[in-house]
Amino acid sequence: MDKRRRALIRLYLDKATLVWNGNVVTGLDALNNFFEMLPSSEFQVNMLDCQPVHEQATQSQSTVLVVTSGTVKFDGNRQHYFNQNFLLTAQVSHNSTVWKIASDCFRFQDWANG
Amino acid sequence: MCSQRKEFGTFRNKGPQAKDWAEMQQFRYGDGTSALRRRRGNGRASYGNFDRRSTRHEHSRHGLLSSHFPKDDSNAIKDFYEDRRVRYIPYVRQHHRSRGRGCDVHKSRVNVCRDPQLRDREMKMDTRDGTRQSWFKVTIPLGRTYDKTWLMNLIQCHCSVSFSPVDFHYIENRALFFVQGVSTASAIKDASNKIYDEENQKIRIFVNPSAVPYSVQNKFTPEQMKQLKLTMKKRYDVSQKALNLQKLRFDPDLMDHEIDIILNRRSCMVAALKIIERNFPELLSLNLQNNKLYKLDGLSDIVEKGPQVKILNLSENELKSIRELDKVKGLKLEELWLQGNPFCSKYADQSAYVSAIQDFFPKLLRLDGQELRPPTVNDIDLRKLVESCKESYKGSETLKNLILQFLQEYYLIYDYGERQGLLSAYHNEACFSLTIPLNAMDLDTSNLCEYFKYSRNLKTLKEPDLRRQLLKYTKRDIVDCLCVLPKTRHDCDTFVVDMWLQTEKMLCFSVNGVFKEIQGTSQGCVHAFTRTFIATPGSSTRLCIVNDHLFVRDARPDEIQSAFSIPVATPCSSSTSTLSQEHQRMAHAFSIQSGMKLQWAQKCLEDNEWNYSKAGQIFTVLQTQGKIPAEAFK
Repeated sequence: MDKRRRALIRLYLDKATLVWNGNVVTGLDALNNFFEMLPSSEFQVNMLDCQPVHEQATQSQSTVLVVTSGTVKFDGNRQHYFNQNFLLTAQVSHNSTVWKIASDCFRFQDWANG
Repeated sequence: MCSQRKEFGTFRNKGPQAKDWAEMQQFRYGDGTSALRRRRGNGRASYGNFDRRSTRHEHSRHGLLSSHFPKDDSNAIKDFYEDRRVRYIPYVRQHHRSRGRGCDVHKSRVNVCRDPQLRDREMKMDTRDGTRQSWFKVTIPLGRTYDKTWLMNLIQCHCSVSFSPVDFHYIENRALFFVQGVSTASAIKDASNKIYDEENQKIRIFVNPSAVPYSVQNKFTPEQMKQLKLTMKKRYDVSQKALNLQKLRFDPDLMDHEIDIILNRRSCMVAALKIIERNFPELLSLNLQNNKLYKLDGLSDIVEKGPQVKILNLSENELKSIRELDKVKGLKLEELWLQGNPFCSKYADQSAYVSAIQDFFPKLLRLDGQELRPPTVNDIDLRKLVESCKESYKGSETLKNLILQFLQEYYLIYDYGERQGLLSAYHNEACFSLTIPLNAMDLDTSNLCEYFKYSRNLKTLKEPDLRRQLLKYTKRDIVDCLCVLPKTRHDCDTFVVDMWLQTEKMLCFSVNGVFKEIQGTSQGCVHAFTRTFIATPGSSTRLCIVNDHLFVRDARPDEIQSAFSIPVATPCSSSTSTLSQEHQRMAHAFSIQSGMKLQWAQKCLEDNEWNYSKAGQIFTVLQTQGKIPAEAFK
């Protein structure tokens, strides 16, 4: 996100959804536009936790819930604390497993103040 | 106030005089080509094209006085405004001599124009020019005695709006000029009586609405305008919506027809803009390179007449100050060319220059052919992005209500009820973990110490055993853990929920909000939290939690302030009928957990002095004894 923004899109599933401070962005094209539009960023992740998601919900697709928190500074803006959750899902092909983001939820802790 | 008709009802038919011709012959074009050409019979104006400082004049078939006067020469302008009703006056180049009329333009007699059609057309043209930004005449009664530059500077100093005087001239003792715009006019009016001359006398300024001043009027005949239009059409690229007016003056077509378009002159710019407005309203790109533009006053109307312009080339002109860009600031430019203007060299380095330009056009993408860093989204834009989605849920109402109801019940029980009761909300093999953004060092100063021992931060916690231990698995373990956490009161009214994934079997949503601790050492402390739930459809319409993550942090002062706003106090009629919010919630929670109707739940609690756990115990005992009537239940 910070150093190779254009590569970020490869981490997402085709139909992935991002909810960014309440803005819903769906699909690779929209995600691409969105990431291009966001100013350059400097993230600092201070907290990371994850849980395996029960297969009953995922219908046997291996999925992990990742929860993170830290600070981010977007160019031209002040620093914000943020919380972000991802659902990572495994894409298994014959010889390798690639994990991709199925869904992403990002919010500033002080989103109310902008 | 003189009406329009008076202003333009008089015409002077000027014929060249021998003396004049001789004088005119002396002047040359800047590049050495021949001077004045005779007026042609076909009505085309002939022009002398002289060095800027000299005077030039031209004659038109209709006897219209349509000279072009350089900025500094007020004689001819004065002549225009004064001598309106007198005909056959030879062009006089000396300074003002009194004509003994003692009247000014306002009081001129109306002379009937020989060519009514022309007059009407001219008036029509004039009403269109400049009406959007109306003109005002500024009169300084004893202005004759003041030096023009000194006077203008003095007025400007006391005037909040910077202005460019148009057609400054003297009539008898008065000094007059024109300005455009109501705000400018009133700013100048305000300066009246605040300025003093060298003898410490107050200088009075009068400001009145007026028609478009002379030099701004369109001086071109309809035929000329037609030709200009044709020429401009040739220079227009339809596919690119681009108009190339580079070196327009030396366009062969225009020169052939002896149409002198000196874009630096207001009247020429006005004409060009008019053609743009009528013929190329969709104009995207305008090239004004190399047109010896000193000022952009005339171009300011482009904001109205060519509002779509995104690409502007002003390179190789004579702009001496970056402030000229103020006049076109209304354009939403993406590309701008300015190199080759005198002001460009004033900047210490390229980035200072770019920065200065960006002040005028913050969304500019390319300057002088170079890509600029993409416009930074400033705080306001980012905020708009965030604010616009406070309530942007576009999914189904049922889903939203399902989640909201779930949360309401969950937190009712979590806060007021027995947390053991939450067992039914969880899947047998659910997971739960919690994290707080603290490390051991901050512990002493924090109010989150109760949570710390359960905090699982994989960034800092490396021991696999501890990692596993802190991840609560199975609903029993989860609920046991929840029961140990401090008692809370959540402010459900200020929850913000993000629903970020929905499939047939899975629903992911995050709740952001605040809660208060009501027990223990941190009693009264307000914390902020983000709780992420992953749920799967459970029995009937209930949700079944498979994953639960809690993130707790200290609340910010603004969060504390806006939380737990006290609800409007309702008048208390009887103590039994109105319950405190606290009790209401407890009753609600009890009702959910016991399955009893609300009134019964309330009664049970009341009977037990609102001691929830005690009431719960009593209830369980009574129920097993079968002593609770069926009607008590929902």
